[in-house]
Amino acid sequence: MNPTAHTSTSAPRTTREQFFARIRTALEHDRTIAPSEPAPVVSDALARTTRATDDLTQRFCEKATAVGMKVRQIVAGDLTRTIGTLLEEIKAKRVVVSVGTVPQAVGLKDSIRRKGIEVVDWAATPGLESQYDTDAGITDVHAAIAESGTMVCCSDAGHSRGLSLVPPVHIAVVRKADILPDLIDWWNKMKAVPPTQWPSSIALITGPSKTADIEGVLVTGVHGPGTVHILVVTDV
Amino acid sequence: MTATQSPPPTPAPTPQPESAAGAAKPHVAPGPPPGHVHPLIVSLPYSIHERADKATADPQLQFFVTRATYYKDQTRKKVFAEVYGERYDQMRELAGNIKQHTLDYLDHYLGEWIDNAEANGVKVHYARDSAEANSICLEIAKANNCKLCVKAKSMVTEETHLLPELEAMGCETVETDLGEFILQIDHDAPSHIVTPMIHKDRVASAKALTAALGVPYNDEPEVIARVARDHLRGKYRKADLGISGGNFLVANTGSVVICTNEGNGRFCTSAPRIHVAFVGIEKVIPGPEHLSVMLKMLARSSTGQPLTVYTHTMTGPKRAHEHDGPEEMHVILIDNGRTEILRKETREMLRCIRCGACLNACPVYRKIGGHAYGAVYSGPIGALITPLFKGLANYKDLPQASSLCGACYEACPVKINIPKYLIQLRTDMVGGKITGLPDRIFYRVWAASLKHSLTYRLGGWAQTTFFRLQAKLSGTLAKGEKYSARGWLKDAPGPVKGWTSQRDMPTPPAASFRNWWDKEHVRSVNPKAAEALKASGAGEAKPAARQH
Ligand code: SF4
Repeated sequence: MNPTAHTSTSAPRTTREQFFARIRTALEHDRTIAPSEPAPVVSDALARTTRATDDLTQRFCEKATAVGMKVRQIVAGDLTRTIGTLLEEIKAKRVVVSVGTVPQAVGLKDSIRRKGIEVVDWAATPGLESQYDTDAGITDVHAAIAESGTMVCCSDAGHSRGLSLVPPVHIAVVRKADILPDLIDWWNKMKAVPPTQWPSSIALITGPSKTADIEGVLVTGVHGPGTVHILVVTDV
Repeated sequence: MTATQSPPPTPAPTPQPESAAGAAKPHVAPGPPPGHVHPLIVSLPYSIHERADKATADPQLQFFVTRATYYKDQTRKKVFAEVYGERYDQMRELAGNIKQHTLDYLDHYLGEWIDNAEANGVKVHYARDSAEANSICLEIAKANNCKLCVKAKSMVTEETHLLPELEAMGCETVETDLGEFILQIDHDAPSHIVTPMIHKDRVASAKALTAALGVPYNDEPEVIARVARDHLRGKYRKADLGISGGNFLVANTGSVVICTNEGNGRFCTSAPRIHVAFVGIEKVIPGPEHLSVMLKMLARSSTGQPLTVYTHTMTGPKRAHEHDGPEEMHVILIDNGRTEILRKETREMLRCIRCGACLNACPVYRKIGGHAYGAVYSGPIGALITPLFKGLANYKDLPQASSLCGACYEACPVKINIPKYLIQLRTDMVGGKITGLPDRIFYRVWAASLKHSLTYRLGGWAQTTFFRLQAKLSGTLAKGEKYSARGWLKDAPGPVKGWTSQRDMPTPPAASFRNWWDKEHVRSVNPKAAEALKASGAGEAKPAARQH
């Protein structure tokens, strides 16, 4: 194979072949072979902490609360009103919204605008730039995990990476049907999708942005949102 | 298959809005004050004593370190007991097996990861050592005309000492993890692999912020965090290069996974146009189901959290239909001595997922803190891998910096038998004549004397007499009957000077247990009375005990 032709003035770059030669020497492999035994099996009985038969909504709410997120259980009919109240509480002036997968949220943007709050069209500007001066990001989720109180937020055409990261408050809508029992279930679900079609970013979010770097004192909101509200819609 | 080429010339950087914070100040690489000693750059061969002495005489440091580690150690135990109970050990076994299996076939799995990552549009680079890793990164920065770099926490870039090089080429580089940021502006260095700033308090942090950013002094942690947040947001908005490490590489998807709590990792890998990840070759695992296991173990072992706040899985740069994300994603795979450790005898050490649990559990680490280890990786795992990375002769004190109590082994989520390998290193030191001649003669003589009863007793007598004499001279030997009278051996002269200057040791009683048993006990047992006791069926323990 062709050694890399770098324009650098320094020594030629290590090639994949040279790099692997060192690994094979250490392993005492004369060539790369497929493993003679299969990768360790992840036994469900051992690794799983949460099952489909558990009360997933309750477990999710409990765990999400334990990591510092503010959880409310509501019915779909109350969604718009609850979000409106939250936005009033934080005196929001500008927000970003992406709740496309929740049919019950139809009309959400209009109802927010009627309160005199600007709904910023984040999709019109490339990158995260339009989101820095907003007060809240309102999103749906791609899944939720009961085991750890985690929300899964992926990037795609309708979801900027920034919505759950840049604004100081994240309001997430989790439908009961979104809640998976265990982390294992999320990755099993992803295994059905070829990796070349995976979103470039999968963020598992378990709590508000946190640090304990200064004397172990817990401070939230150091880079990402300091407050995360989760609205669990129990009837869908 | 071809090795990845350097990035193609790229169009001029996206124009940035004028309003971005901090736009007015041209960048001047902030140098450390004159006479500054970087805590992790030491002269070799490294001697632990100066720093260890200083740390053991610094109660404040020990308080900080203990406060940060003891609580986490307790939380880890509590959380695993709740979640996995009896299965905790099997989970450690499984996580250890997953890493071991991947390492045993590292050529296969790393190859698989590279193929998948490239299919996802990732540019993969191969770095034999620190110098090559840094120069690849500089080339990427140069080719893309990068002027401002935001960097997430990465131990590998500490290893390669990347920052000064980026700064020197004119690319301002900012650490964004709160702890790392404060360390950077204070010209300090991390002392713990997970919580880098545990040796520093709020006062020092606030002073550093005041000095570097000109903000009024305020040492409330909330305020410190807010000042840093505002400052760093200005940087994210303008940055054209983002650097991260990587906690896991998933072979059959080509993904890179990073685990952070603050969200800076997501910013650094999402906001800038170019993302470069520095990742050690040992980070690869086979598939997503294995990722589940490793993630379930990592954060719980680190801090007791079920998962870190943000577990960010990146599978290629921004996809065509997506709204944002980096246009280019580079991964620099780093060997830098890892293939040395990969050989059979030491392979297990590469299982390490850098959770920090062994540091949190270690009584020696709590006493001496991270900087005493004189290298990027501290604590038990540092004592193990630093001598292998940098040469045993250069770090000959580190394998000794352990009481071999085994707390690290019990805490390790991938079951690295750290004490066993520390002993192996000590053996290697003697075999490789790295241990000094006097020491070797001493242990030879000691070993020989243990083999014969006469020399053993003679040695025991000499030791007892010397220790008690010392204790008497220092006035610590309490008066009392001879089997319990104890004193303390401290600051003894001669060959034990070095050893006793840092440790106090109780002196042995004048007579040994054996002597005591023979003289005071056995002799006093009236044979007739013993017979009578035996006949009555009581006191069976006594004859049994005699056999010892
Ligand atoms: S050696 Fe084990 S306990 Fe220590 S940091 Fe590595 S994985 Fe964690």
